[in-house]
Amino acid sequence: MKKLLQIELIKTLNNSTFKVILVLHFILFLLLVYVSTRIDLSVPGFSTQKMFMFPNVWPLFTWYASWFNLLFLGIIIIILTGNEFSFKTSRLMITNGLSRNEFLLGKGILILLISAWGLLLVFLAGSVTGFIFTEDFSLIKFFENTSILLVYFVQAIAYMCLALLFSTIIKSNALSIMMYLLYFIMIEPIFRLFLPKLVRPYFPVKVISGLTPVPEFLSLASDKSFISTNGQSQLDLESIGILPKAIPLNTSLILTLIYISLFVIASWYIVKKKDL
Amino acid sequence: MSEILRITGLTKKYGTLFAINDLSLNIEKGNVFGILGPNGSGKTTTLSIVTGIIHPTRGSFQWFGENPRPSSYQRIGSLIETPHFYPYLSLYQNLQLVSKIKGIPLKEINHVLGITNLLARKHSPFITLSLGMKQRLGIAAAMLGSPEVLVLDEPTNGLDPEGFAEVRELILQEASAGKTIILASHILDEVEKVCSHVAILKKGKILTSGKVHELLLKDDLVRITTIKSDELYEALIRGGWTKTIEKEKNEIRLTLSSDKSPGDLNEFAFKNGFVLDKIEVLKQSLESQFLEIIK
Repeated sequence: MKKLLQIELIKTLNNSTFKVILVLHFILFLLLVYVSTRIDLSVPGFSTQKMFMFPNVWPLFTWYASWFNLLFLGIIIIILTGNEFSFKTSRLMITNGLSRNEFLLGKGILILLISAWGLLLVFLAGSVTGFIFTEDFSLIKFFENTSILLVYFVQAIAYMCLALLFSTIIKSNALSIMMYLLYFIMIEPIFRLFLPKLVRPYFPVKVISGLTPVPEFLSLASDKSFISTNGQSQLDLESIGILPKAIPLNTSLILTLIYISLFVIASWYIVKKKDL
Repeated sequence: MSEILRITGLTKKYGTLFAINDLSLNIEKGNVFGILGPNGSGKTTTLSIVTGIIHPTRGSFQWFGENPRPSSYQRIGSLIETPHFYPYLSLYQNLQLVSKIKGIPLKEINHVLGITNLLARKHSPFITLSLGMKQRLGIAAAMLGSPEVLVLDEPTNGLDPEGFAEVRELILQEASAGKTIILASHILDEVEKVCSHVAILKKGKILTSGKVHELLLKDDLVRITTIKSDELYEALIRGGWTKTIEKEKNEIRLTLSSDKSPGDLNEFAFKNGFVLDKIEVLKQSLESQFLEIIK
């Protein structure tokens, strides 16, 4: 395990593409956070500033960050894994005695590390912003809704595992990235339309992206708290029809874990059978 | 002699094309085993299968008398086709990866970079190397940690004549240290100079295999010059010494029968009162034999 970690670190920390993407991720995320906090729209009863107070800041920032999961973190994994196959460096690993399982496990370690990095970034950005904007700070408010950070962590892993699968199936990196993104924005959504309404919410992209749903800006920005203690909004936008009916968070989490397992098993099978 | 590699009925099909077809081989400890064949004869495919990077369609192989496990490969140093390294990592970092996988102390890296003349480029990214240097790094990686077995696929590919000689010297050194070496090559000269055993491959099948000196060098050409050439010519034919014989002026050119050596010939001539001005043994050109075999 330690050996695999060392190997992955040598490979990734010296890779300039990896470094550039991570730095871009860092800068753009903080820029988005900064710019959005500068927006100051207030009408009586509502203020955008409220969105940046504890605990409202957590669902908002995890939603921001989820876009970076999809775009930056997933693509990093495609590049790092795809390069192993297209530069045939996977051969260097295997002929010197790394098993194919260990090879894939190394990528798994990388996914966990990158997810942890994403989590840290959201946590720090959320904490700092929250401290600045919250007028009456209390630890209870600080920790309220922080469980969504864990959900964000699972989502990052899920996106990267799907990216891993694409990079093992498709030989060309450019094509993997394209198919990965197209799958999210077009292929699955269009495919879903042809299926009965009942099964539509259970598709991988729907489930995984649904983990960090679009925040209910109205309730977050409102003076009144519409969030009850069980984390469910009392301002039922779903029943009004503003937001589509979603499946419960716990179900989504379990489904996501199942999808992660499926992505990993499929990648494992492909790497096992692949001629490198 | 213990068995290092046993290949049984190995077959690899790409679509309808057989890259190798029902190939079987045994390689024993201490052999310098040449796999000789023209381009596209299946040399690289065979070595890629036994080093675990591609899967055979049929057939099996065993390393060190057991079914291959990832840990078997930690005892083998290999260079398959062209060297594949991380282009952005330095030579040292690339070899560091190999050391980590195989559990070799990092101080060995300088040693192999030294013997392959790459020490000065230790911290250059791999991508900045010339073709010959990349090849030498491939050899350095294979030799890292001094493994029991070396699998080298056309190791002199892309090297200049000096590099050629150096690599050949390295292989001979490793062989004399008792290492088992499996060497694929399309260059006869290379196989002849370094290998103890050879298998000749054509279109994925083994045409013939055996010891190099038995298989490729059995008919040496002997040239003799003597004053009484006519008499000796007659005597040799009558004595059943030769397989082929021809005479031109004072020079007789012959290939000896398989039970006779040039020494025997010299003794026979001397005892029968022929003084030989010159006796010369010419290794038969492998080129012609090789071309004959693969026709």
